[in-house]
Amino acid sequence: MKKKITFDKEDEEFFGQVGSFGVPKFDGEMNGGIPRGFTMVAFTETGSGAELFAKQYVSPAEESENTLYISTNEGQPEIVRVFKKYGWPLDINVRTIGEEYNSNVLERELLASRYRLEGFRLEDIQRLAQTRFVDENNQDYLTEVTNEIMALGPYFRAAIDSLDFFLQRDDPNRVVAMIRMLQAHTQMYRGLLLISVSVNGLSPSIRQELASIADMVLTFGVRTVGSDFETSMIVSKFRNAPENLKMLVFRVTPEEGITPETVERIA
Amino acid sequence: MIMFELDQRIAEQLSTISLNSSVQVRCGNSNAFMVTASTMLPLMQMFEMGGVYITASRGAVEIIQAFESIGVDVSNIQFIDLVSSGILGGTDVEYSNIHFVDSPIMLESVLLRTLYILRTTSSARNFVFIDSVNALAIYNEDRMLAEYLHTFINTFRQREVLSIILNVPDQTPPLVLSNLDLYCTDLVDRGQVVIH
Amino acid sequence: MRGGIPYGSTVLASGTCGSGKTTLAMEFLVRGALAGEACAHFTATEPSVKLLENIRQYAFFDMNMVDTGLINVFDMDVLYSWLGLDKSTFDLDDVHALIKSITDIVNTIGVTRLVIDSVTTLCYKIKSEQLIRDFLFTLGKKLATLGCTTILISEITSATENAHWSSFGVEEAIADGIVVMGDVERMGHLLRFLQVVKMRGTSHSRAKHAIELTPLGVMLTPMLKWGSQTDSANWGA
Ligand SMILES: Nc1ncnc2c1ncn2[C@@H]1O[C@H](COP(=O)(O)OP(=O)(O)OP(=O)(O)O)[C@@H](O)[C@H]1O
Ligand SMILES: [Mg+2]
Repeated sequence: MKKKITFDKEDEEFFGQVGSFGVPKFDGEMNGGIPRGFTMVAFTETGSGAELFAKQYVSPAEESENTLYISTNEGQPEIVRVFKKYGWPLDINVRTIGEEYNSNVLERELLASRYRLEGFRLEDIQRLAQTRFVDENNQDYLTEVTNEIMALGPYFRAAIDSLDFFLQRDDPNRVVAMIRMLQAHTQMYRGLLLISVSVNGLSPSIRQELASIADMVLTFGVRTVGSDFETSMIVSKFRNAPENLKMLVFRVTPEEGITPETVERIA
Repeated sequence: MIMFELDQRIAEQLSTISLNSSVQVRCGNSNAFMVTASTMLPLMQMFEMGGVYITASRGAVEIIQAFESIGVDVSNIQFIDLVSSGILGGTDVEYSNIHFVDSPIMLESVLLRTLYILRTTSSARNFVFIDSVNALAIYNEDRMLAEYLHTFINTFRQREVLSIILNVPDQTPPLVLSNLDLYCTDLVDRGQVVIH
Repeated sequence: MRGGIPYGSTVLASGTCGSGKTTLAMEFLVRGALAGEACAHFTATEPSVKLLENIRQYAFFDMNMVDTGLINVFDMDVLYSWLGLDKSTFDLDDVHALIKSITDIVNTIGVTRLVIDSVTTLCYKIKSEQLIRDFLFTLGKKLATLGCTTILISEITSATENAHWSSFGVEEAIADGIVVMGDVERMGHLLRFLQVVKMRGTSHSRAKHAIELTPLGVMLTPMLKWGSQTDSANWGA
């Protein structure tokens, strides 16, 4: 099964050993950026700026066709609006699973209520008589997403925001197994993968497993300081570089997005 | 080729009867096949009839091979074999004109299967041949068998299918025998074997 | 009995598993289709693909009947999903939606022969007995007014215990006719049988008939009186 990937000399020079977080100050704080081949798991709290971080993380888009942003919560227009606002590239690959799912379900529900209210028309009946199987209501988005990431080439950059969608609909063990596969793939292809997952309702065992698979574990939190909110990112795992473990407090500014303020060492 | 004399008088007798007849053919143990062949040959060859041969006495393969050994091709006759299903691997045969019924007690199935086969065959004139009442009597209760033969004979008489019922009288229960005598329109009696 | 179901009546075909209910019902539809009648089969017990595969062996069936729309096979699962009935229990609204869609179909394509295979699986989803009763009664009445002859297939566990010909005890009350199918044991062998228990508006034999499923359809002959030992044993009990 083990495949040997050969990397272009030129590519090696172009991409280097690390890739940017999308936030220059984070790069500076952590030895220049994210080591190529790393899978990051970000545990997030609501309002902690993690969604914006995920977008900002894909924004360096070294190769836009090899950059993939998978959103399960937002639709295309919202994403485009944010990218435009910050002047990030719009030609990356974006997949909006939540939107697809909702429109599928919504469409189905609309149709069902039409059938129930107005009854079947002749053409409906003809179609019904020719339909032999129930439409796969539970489209296997997990497999689709996994395949989509696995299809990216060397030095890819991808983000899944967030894993909650899959954990709610699939067997969590299956989700973990997929993440394990993606981690191996990312490592082999020297890609960069960010996976966010909300800490609310996340079972401790799954959290534990995800943290152990990840090469880097980030925790996005928010707390009130006086009358202000303080958003922070804690780096609690950084494979082979424990010196990078730290807490970074940041603000969200209209000019730069995520903007770090202070740094505290935690190790 | 033929190892024994065919009984020509059976053919003569058969030529006088009509399609809605039911013929009881009595034989003994030793002349059973000779009587069978003497009955079947004229039906197949002289009268060009098709038919269904129901066997409860021995496997259909054995009977087909007995006919083959006297140079008679019975591939146009459909066989319903009531004994081979009870034997392991008994239904694994290469003749496509053999049909199996699970057991000689499933008399209704035999009747329905016969009707089905007759509906699917092309010959205009047909017979059904039961081999034999005494063999069926081994498995079936007297009253049931008597009732069955009555239904059987009437069913085929209505459909203008000639029924031939082979019987070794001294091995058949009296109730069945007397009913058979009652329902059958004709009798070919070769039950007393004369030993020269 | 054959060809003898009065027009517009609802017949309950009850039988143990594998007794030939589906085959009988399919033959009923095909005979109708041969006479140019529009037919509908709602299948809940086996996928329509398998059903169509299985009935291909029958000489009386012609795939053309499906292609030309004379025989319409509907998967209940698909119908449920179209109506948004993905849940395991149906409420009053759902039941009405179901009745409406079935009558819609009958009305729109002018179905005169209809089979529901089986009402047992369908009624499992309707938890209250009252609702089952309502459902079957309303459906039966609507179909009768539309002049549609209906076979409701019901799965029963035993065909010898005469107390129930239906799994919910409701179906038999609304049916104009009841046909029971099952096996009779005779010395360790099973013989398939069919018995017409009632058929309003006709005089019919109430005797047990032995049946044989053949490529030409269901063939019947009276079962030998002296041959049904299981039953004589039951009479004594
Ligand atoms: N031509 C045939 N010859 C012999 N057996 C047949 C023939 N056609 C069907 N069968 C058998 O008859 C059985 C019953 O068929 P059918 O599906 O009609 O029964 P059913 O009562 O609807 O069963 P179920 O309860 O599973 O729905 C099957 O096991 C099948 O193998
Ligand atoms: Mg069935």
